Amino acid sequence: MSALQEPLERYRMLLDAAAPNLPGREIAWLATQRAAATQQLLQSGFPTRKTEAWRYTSLDRVLEPAWEVPRQYGAALDIGEYTLSDDAAARLVFVNGHWVAELSSTHALPEGVYMGSLRTALEVMPDTVATWLENSAAMRLSAFTALNTALLDDGVWLHISAGTKLTTPIELLHVCIAQDATPTAQLRNVIVLDDGAEAMLLEQYTGIGEAPSFTNSLTEIRLGRHARLEHARLQDEGPSARHLSYVCLHQQAHSRYRGLSMSLGGLWSRSEYHNRMCEQHTQFELDGLYIAGGHQLSDVHLAITHAVPHCTSRERFKGIVLGQGRAVFDGRIRVEQDAQKSAAELHNANLLLSRTAEIDTKPQLEIYADDVKCSHGTSIGQLEPAQLFYLRSRGIGLDAARRLLCQGFVMEILEGWHIPALHTRVAQRLDRLLAETPQADSDPH
Amino acid sequence: MLTVKNLTVSIEAKPVLQGLDLEVMAGEVHAIMGPNGSGKSSFAHVLAGRGGYEVTGGEVLFEGEDLLTLDVEERARRGLFLALQYPVELPGVSNLVFLRESLNAIRAARGEPILDAVQFMKLARDKATLMQLNPELLKRSVNAGFSGGEKKRNEILQMALLEPKLAILDETDSGLDIDAIRIVADGVNTLRSPQRAIILITHYQRLLDYIEPGRVHVLSGGRIVRSGDKALAVELERKGYGWIAEEVAA
Ligand SMILES: Nc1ncnc2c1ncn2[C@@H]1O[C@H](COP(=O)(O)OP(=O)(O)OP(=O)(O)O)[C@@H](O)[C@H]1O
Ligand SMILES: [Mg+2]
Repeated sequence: MSALQEPLERYRMLLDAAAPNLPGREIAWLATQRAAATQQLLQSGFPTRKTEAWRYTSLDRVLEPAWEVPRQYGAALDIGEYTLSDDAAARLVFVNGHWVAELSSTHALPEGVYMGSLRTALEVMPDTVATWLENSAAMRLSAFTALNTALLDDGVWLHISAGTKLTTPIELLHVCIAQDATPTAQLRNVIVLDDGAEAMLLEQYTGIGEAPSFTNSLTEIRLGRHARLEHARLQDEGPSARHLSYVCLHQQAHSRYRGLSMSLGGLWSRSEYHNRMCEQHTQFELDGLYIAGGHQLSDVHLAITHAVPHCTSRERFKGIVLGQGRAVFDGRIRVEQDAQKSAAELHNANLLLSRTAEIDTKPQLEIYADDVKCSHGTSIGQLEPAQLFYLRSRGIGLDAARRLLCQGFVMEILEGWHIPALHTRVAQRLDRLLAETPQADSDPH
Repeated sequence: MLTVKNLTVSIEAKPVLQGLDLEVMAGEVHAIMGPNGSGKSSFAHVLAGRGGYEVTGGEVLFEGEDLLTLDVEERARRGLFLALQYPVELPGVSNLVFLRESLNAIRAARGEPILDAVQFMKLARDKATLMQLNPELLKRSVNAGFSGGEKKRNEILQMALLEPKLAILDETDSGLDIDAIRIVADGVNTLRSPQRAIILITHYQRLLDYIEPGRVHVLSGGRIVRSGDKALAVELERKGYGWIAEEVAA
């Protein structure tokens, strides 16, 4: 182990330092899994730009800082401003990767819903946790899912039993406080909906402070037969945050997942969705929205596979890139030979608002079956001069006109999600980024 | 109110206006007619400040000030309004939001208080009723999926809300059904006052039956080649433009 290169050596030190405080050290399968993950990470190391999946995205911003796993957070925190829904059935709050009981509320949940922290679940029902985590293959997705597993510590634990239908949303809030330290939150979220269960999750990552932080979250979602989950994720972290998230789905027949992936904040952010649909009549729908200005990077990776017939997948992402922002969209839909009668749609549209901004978009449909309905499309455009003129000819100033057109552009995504707070967040973010992008820079012609 | 002197304009190095003169006083209604491609819309666009046109000569004064150096929004804030021949669609931008931002920008420029959401809604509803515009259209995206006539009515709704000093209507009557022409004409007539002026660009005399112009001009080859009173419009309706071209050539 002595020949490790930087930054791997630094990560090994991170693992060593965190190990004594990790929960469930006495659980055999977990110890085995952590050891395997550690070995995988240290042997394979981190990907480089030569790795296809990381071709457009440099890892420097994630690998260079010396991160530390912070201890439990105890102080009071006003989370009012982060509320996404006024009628949430329950709220789980995590600060720097650890569940904070005092800020959470789960008492109004109906029977049949078990919600809390993974740390607690490991304590009180390790066998149940084992059913879902012991054989998880997610750690093998990348060096970062291995890292997450090696540091498996805390996260959302949500289990909705068969037939339970929640009518109001559940909020999951992750706050990263990065004021003087450089914290890393390694979150492991487990979300299980048994047969016929229905729920809506509003998941949010946000930050306080300007220091660098690194969120590395791995969410595994299991949907039983006929289960339905609506899942909106908002990444609105602090200005120096690094945010990496993996969402891995396991869908049983006739289940439906409908997601929204919004990436607004952070300095460096990447979201991956992995779904191999192995049971018939499953539906996967994902809307997405990313806005990158300043020196932000926003990266989306989708790996969706139709392995059996009669499944539907639809992904629709829109992005606005301005200032010196960069966006990467790498969406890959694979329809395997047996997956007849599949329907797959993949769309990505972008607004490129400055000469110094950059977008790499790579939608890929790989189709090996012959009786399928598939389509994909991608576009990169600018604001229409005719539209800008029209707004200005009605007295609306240039900045407001640009904001209205940008909001109009993302509306197609947002209108399918009746969450007014999300609209507000997008409007605020656009206002800020447009204000700091001088008009002189913003004509890409 | 508006003085245009020897205005010459090119688009992509091709001359579209070649020495246009026009004087419009407060309280007046002028009609501009002329064959397709003669430069009517180009003239209206140059007044409103649309990009793509190069002013190569002449000047335009609006209330004594050089109009051509002002930004598009500044012209609107000072009371210039152009109802477009082809209103632009703004997908995802709610008509209500558009109208409110517009009205409040212009009210702010006039030193009037901003309307709150409730006051604005009431005003917008009232004006929409006046224009017999389906109130559902207020909630939709601006002009997106509107019928041709609905787009034109939406333009007039904007005019009615913004109460401009100088309104230029570029073929607002084209594509309107017979009843709608009446409604639009009523809207325009309501706006008429000794302090305001209106320029109607049209191909049809029918509109002029409802909104009586004091002056009628014929634009041809980028210039006003003939001006007269309402009788000129009647004559054009009967004889077409050919005879004027011949007279000009002679
Ligand atoms: N963007 C452009 N590029 C090149 N030529 C243009 C452009 N816009 C207008 N023109 C030309 O300028 C001339 C004047 O056009 P304009 O639209 O002003 O005519 P108009 O009098 O309004 O016609 P109509 O009665 O058909 O509306 C036409 O020959 C037209 O083809
Ligand atoms: Mg025209």
